Amino acid sequence: MKNIRLLLVDDEDDFRQTLAKRLTKKGISPEQAENGEKALSILENKRMDVVVLDVKMPGMDGIEVLHHIKKRYPKTEVIFLTGHAATQDGVHGIKTGAFDYLSKPIEFEHLFGKIKQAYEKIEREEEKLKEAEFREHMEMQMVTTEKLASLGTLAAGVAHEINNPLAIINESAGWLKLIVNKEEMAQMPRKQDFEKALNKIEKGVMRAKRITHQLLGFARKDDSVFSEVNIMELVEEGINLVNMEAVYKNIEIVREIAPDKNTIWSDPSQLRQVLINLLTNAIYATNVGGKITIRLEAMDETITLIVQDTGQGIPKENLNKIFEPFFSTKPPGEGTGLGLFVTRGIVEKLGGIIEVTSKLGNGASFYIMLPRYFKIKKDLDQDERIQFLEHLAEQSNSTQ
Amino acid sequence: MIKIPTKVLLVDDEEDFAEMLSLRLIELGEKVTVAHSGQEGLDTLAKTGIDVVILDIKMPGMDGIETLREIKKQYPIIEVILLTGHGSTETAVEGMKLGAFDYLMKPADFSDLAAKLEGARKRKDEQEERIRKAEAKLLVRRSGGAF
Repeated sequence: MKNIRLLLVDDEDDFRQTLAKRLTKKGISPEQAENGEKALSILENKRMDVVVLDVKMPGMDGIEVLHHIKKRYPKTEVIFLTGHAATQDGVHGIKTGAFDYLSKPIEFEHLFGKIKQAYEKIEREEEKLKEAEFREHMEMQMVTTEKLASLGTLAAGVAHEINNPLAIINESAGWLKLIVNKEEMAQMPRKQDFEKALNKIEKGVMRAKRITHQLLGFARKDDSVFSEVNIMELVEEGINLVNMEAVYKNIEIVREIAPDKNTIWSDPSQLRQVLINLLTNAIYATNVGGKITIRLEAMDETITLIVQDTGQGIPKENLNKIFEPFFSTKPPGEGTGLGLFVTRGIVEKLGGIIEVTSKLGNGASFYIMLPRYFKIKKDLDQDERIQFLEHLAEQSNSTQ
Repeated sequence: MIKIPTKVLLVDDEEDFAEMLSLRLIELGEKVTVAHSGQEGLDTLAKTGIDVVILDIKMPGMDGIETLREIKKQYPIIEVILLTGHGSTETAVEGMKLGAFDYLMKPADFSDLAAKLEGARKRKDEQEERIRKAEAKLLVRRSGGAF
């Protein structure tokens, strides 16, 4: 009640000021307006919880002010003050959306009670709204989790089933290729056509295989192997693996990594996968002569790895979609649409968060926040972890 | 140089796959026998001399891991390469702990398969060589070196 934002609107100065004084004694300091226009201009600058509004005023009358208030600030509650025996006005006010009405002359305690009731109603509504929002948020999160889980199961099933016929196609094409390449087949008519088609089949199989293996990789059970990971070394490894492509496009790769505080406890092979995915994307997005920056921000409890490119950027409408499975802007055959989906899956499995910021034409930045020390729920090899923690302690001692 | 064929037993319930892979291996000069279940594979091993078994993990009835256990129990010297369509490496790792030479994920890259086949064959040959030498030593000791 102390925090209530209250506005008194009445053209009778004496009445209004007396009321304000008595309210101040109760610990509420109300704003005041002597007419409707002034009241609305106050409301424009400051949200009010409760407005005590006189009906009979020169200029804009109470009913009109009430209309405006309810239209623009539906959450604000209005208590009507009507003239003696003017019940009609009060009823009309309630129909228009007023909380209640009091007939003048009013009893202060009575009005104070009404203000209190109105404020409690607002508090209740707000609580309800918050609860509803929270519930909606939770439901959405659950839907997403369930969706991803069932999607994972489905995807793995499909991938598994497709792998078998794929293997048959693969072996058949491989066998034919062996035959076509035999010495006795050297004079075979239209040999080149056969070779061309067989190569296409093999390439197609490889493409399908990439997809099925990525899907199975996503659905794979947790078989992480945790160890001490030096992020700087990991970044160097990652860069080495994609460097050819970067050199080819004349892209400069800048590292902004301080040599200290860059060891964490995590799964190196999965982190390498994350890094390679992000670097490959960055190189793909960056134009010839562009720049990719890899930055590490190390805090005590967390590290943030940032991969920033100077590429074409991601349009706003795509920012929410890039982590969805099968979303790709690459031409068919070049991207599986699973790279970032899998990347996010890994980062979250490792207890981290991945985020992206981008502006069209200004490149994109991917942020991976990881805990320095990922707590595994099971299979923890205490000794190894203690060693790691001691090592960390040594490091921080030696840098001091 | 004349290639000495590796005697391969291919065990896979997927008949088309087994047929095509065997044709491909035969084309390369290997000697391939096909079986479509774990039991059929074991029956073949009882009748035919085999160097390397290429074994699918996921089969109805007796699965690859079970078959592998039986093979290693009865013919410890025969090398086994596992084929997995799973994408889960766990089963493959379990298989290797049970004595499998290596594993491949379906659809396998043929050059990988060929390389692993050769490696398995080589290991078996070397092991057989060691056994021969050990037997020879044993013979010498028994006869007291007096020939």
